[in-house]
Amino acid sequence: MTMKKTLTILFAIGFLFVSLGLAQVQKPSDLKFQPLKYEPPDPKDFRTEFANGLRGYIQEDHSLPLFNISAIINLGRLYVPKDKLGLDSVMSETLIKGGTKTREGSEIEERINFIGGSLSFRAGERTSTLSLSVLIEDLDEGLELFFDVLMNPEFREAPLDIARASLIQQLRQANDQPSGVLSREYEHLLYGDHPLTWQPNKATYEGITGADLKAVHSKYFFPKNIILAASGDFNKSELKTKINKIIAGWKNKSLKIASFPKKFPQPEPGVYFIEKRINQGYISLGHLGIEDTNPDYFAVQVMNFILGGGSFTSRITMKVRSDEGLSYNQGSRFRYRWGFPGTFSGYVQTKSSTVGYAISLILNEFNRIRREPVSNAEMETAINYYLESFSNSFESPQTTMSSFANLEMTGKPMNYYKTYRDKVKAVTMAKVQEVANKYIHPDEAVIMIVGDFASCNKGGDKWPGPLDKLGKVHTINLKDPLTGEELK
Amino acid sequence: MKRNLILFFTLLAFASLAVTAEIELDVKEHVLPNGMKILMLQKPGVPRIVCHIYFKAGSINERPGITGLAHLHEHMMFKGTEMMGVTDFAKDDVINKRIDEIVDKIYREKFWKSDGGDKEKIAQWKKEYDKLVKENKQYIIKDDLWTLYMKNGGTGLNASTGNESTGYYVTLPSNKVELQMLLESDRMLSAYFREFYSEKDVIMEERRLSENRPGFFFSEQVNAAFYAASPYHWGVIGWMDDLRKATKADLIDFHNRYYVPNRAVAIYVGNFDPQNIIQMAEKYFGRIPKGLDVEPIRTYEPPQYSEKRMYGEGPAPTSLQMMFHTPQDGHPDVAPLSVLANVLGSGGGGRGRFRGGGGGGFGRLYKILVQEKQMAVSVSARSRAQWYVGTFQFSAKPRIDKKVKPEDLEKEIWVEIEKIKKEGVTAEEIQQVKNRSKAMFIRSLSRASGLARSIGRAELNRGWRSILTGLDDLKKVTNDDIKRVAAEYFLKNNSLTAVYTRQMGQRQGRRR
Repeated sequence: MTMKKTLTILFAIGFLFVSLGLAQVQKPSDLKFQPLKYEPPDPKDFRTEFANGLRGYIQEDHSLPLFNISAIINLGRLYVPKDKLGLDSVMSETLIKGGTKTREGSEIEERINFIGGSLSFRAGERTSTLSLSVLIEDLDEGLELFFDVLMNPEFREAPLDIARASLIQQLRQANDQPSGVLSREYEHLLYGDHPLTWQPNKATYEGITGADLKAVHSKYFFPKNIILAASGDFNKSELKTKINKIIAGWKNKSLKIASFPKKFPQPEPGVYFIEKRINQGYISLGHLGIEDTNPDYFAVQVMNFILGGGSFTSRITMKVRSDEGLSYNQGSRFRYRWGFPGTFSGYVQTKSSTVGYAISLILNEFNRIRREPVSNAEMETAINYYLESFSNSFESPQTTMSSFANLEMTGKPMNYYKTYRDKVKAVTMAKVQEVANKYIHPDEAVIMIVGDFASCNKGGDKWPGPLDKLGKVHTINLKDPLTGEELK
Repeated sequence: MKRNLILFFTLLAFASLAVTAEIELDVKEHVLPNGMKILMLQKPGVPRIVCHIYFKAGSINERPGITGLAHLHEHMMFKGTEMMGVTDFAKDDVINKRIDEIVDKIYREKFWKSDGGDKEKIAQWKKEYDKLVKENKQYIIKDDLWTLYMKNGGTGLNASTGNESTGYYVTLPSNKVELQMLLESDRMLSAYFREFYSEKDVIMEERRLSENRPGFFFSEQVNAAFYAASPYHWGVIGWMDDLRKATKADLIDFHNRYYVPNRAVAIYVGNFDPQNIIQMAEKYFGRIPKGLDVEPIRTYEPPQYSEKRMYGEGPAPTSLQMMFHTPQDGHPDVAPLSVLANVLGSGGGGRGRFRGGGGGGFGRLYKILVQEKQMAVSVSARSRAQWYVGTFQFSAKPRIDKKVKPEDLEKEIWVEIEKIKKEGVTAEEIQQVKNRSKAMFIRSLSRASGLARSIGRAELNRGWRSILTGLDDLKKVTNDDIKRVAAEYFLKNNSLTAVYTRQMGQRQGRRR
């Protein structure tokens, strides 16, 4: 009993002590935060030139005994000729597994696995990345394997065979996932017949040879066409010496990247329906967007945050999900791609009977943000989000180095991060409305739906069909992914 | 004053265990008088702090009839409190109580009567309901907590529900942790579940999204067949009928039982002064009364005594799964099983995850079935020890172009299993797994958010130190251990084999 009492008193004093340091707070607006200053890292401090014009962004990071390095190569899906479509995917599968002049692929993978490292390669739209991560004690061996794969791949026949078979088998599933079908067909509708939308098929995969892969490698993998990003527990000048030694004999090529058409069809506005026997409609509605080099980029980001990009704080989510309970996943987005306008879309997946209703609500929001100025509170939330979360981009030294390498690769201004917050702060309410009018055009929007036509067309209580109330209904027939021929 | 300080520090247990010569996991612990645990891991870098809270509450705490409730509850925790998300709580409360009464009448009519009840009555009540919901809107501030977090630079904002635990996540600038303490303690204290019925619709849409993923229905049935008795039988999303019929009363009961400080752990990873975190935690989380002790789950998975086989068809790729019951987390056989999974089917090329195998780009089975015999496009092995159950699973996809059947792969995998029962694996294979485990652990330390997740979840079950003892256990695994566990668990009457064949042009199951 006495024991208990003493303890109670002690706890009471304990709380008293605690409360001395913190005034009573009842609600969030009572909170006072200490000011916090943050300056982003400057790319200049990390930029390094290696032998033969190879560039890199390198950061010493002694917090953990690790070594990370990536090579970003200016090569991607877009640069593959039409009769070799899929070469990027085959290369992703075989750059490592196909071995090098002096090593079998399995030998490389076994070694990496044994030392607990990871080595991977992925080809993207216009850039490809080879990445290695090992313990710092394995730095030398890691570097040797990394550059061997980067400089001397051999694309041996046996692993190439396996890769082709696996990719062809994956093709069979190309029309299975409603979300995959929607994003592929939406882009095809907006960009038309263009290298951005070309798809590989069985014949193109079968036609890709080791010689093709070597030719592409030899054309694009040279020092001046690559930027490195590295971080870890090393000494920067020692690392530089090591890399220079390995790449001493690596020759440059002359390369002129072809230019691509930037004229795109203007699809007729209206509904584009893709039949799939599922219990929801998967929907994207919109049109082409902008490039991220557009001076209005920051205003567009703030505007879209308010419209449908800011998750639960955005209008589309509040209306379609919170108010109406129509969907789990919804919003709007501007997608960006290097050298081309990206896409703008509102999106939602909802049960068949509420497809028309959800679309009508999203179109209302497209119109409202054009018609009326956004509120002060919305502006404050959007702008503060970008300012206050800014330092998050630099959490990982390796990601930061890769971001800098990508800025340089895509020719963006190297002061992008330095000026980022000022540009966000400069966005005004009037500017938000201006860019909404300039870049969102509900009357030009295509509305693409993947779902069960009969039940989507019927609608429900709040929005009875038919769907042609939203515009002329076009039917899109999918192609057989193996042949590229239209399916009946 | 001095005495209080001593009290303070005795409550603090500074733990710092060495893993390798150079690596430490320096987690600082503090326990509040109400039983809530505060864990802190200082990490230099950008001025941000990962703030997570985990509750010992998941789908295994449900029972037939209320499946999916833990996940539904997680959604409802974003629907305001007496302070948040509302302009006039008193008025809002009156309307909400009337909404609940009306819905109770509708549910009794619609769900309790076998013929679906009196349609006209239901329609009349539905009208009243719609009117009240509309009236309620004037007092609701939509997604108030989410907006406040975002306005203050919150990233990684989310929550997730699993079989055993539920987590709430936000990463904030390092000067704003107090906001998280205020908002999270507030929703533990006074969660008020507004817009419950429209949120149920959102969850049913979430379930439909899963249903439209090729192969979902088959996986759901395979899981239900594999776990016949334990509450791992149903998925976290729950059965559609239960979602439709769940009531506000179910939710409040679940909240009061499981969302109590003595079942919670808060973890902070980043740039901070631990004393400061402790002071704030005392103030905010310390004000929540301790909850009742709740009995852990009763029903473990009984031995199955017979082989199980399932066949399914649909629009997903043709595949084979072989599942075996293995012990739960903390059992001495978990480490050898994990080593074995990594040897057989671990990921190479950077795509594999270490813990328990998976991936399949590189292991022994990949070499035999994908590279040498060219019978499979992929094959992997994975060992997963959960709180009360464990599974060892093989997954493979046959080469369609070579007319290989899932059953052919099944035979091949059994050949390899029998070989392991006799010979085990090579010393080099075991060493490779040990090296990988060390490297993967060190790499995991660089990712604050993932680290917070594994520390927080481990704490709720066997304590966060089990992450470290698990690594030590792996180091001790011998080939005899591997042979023993293979012989013990890889038995037909401990297995479920699932064969799925791709078949296009038909609906995946009955539509709702």
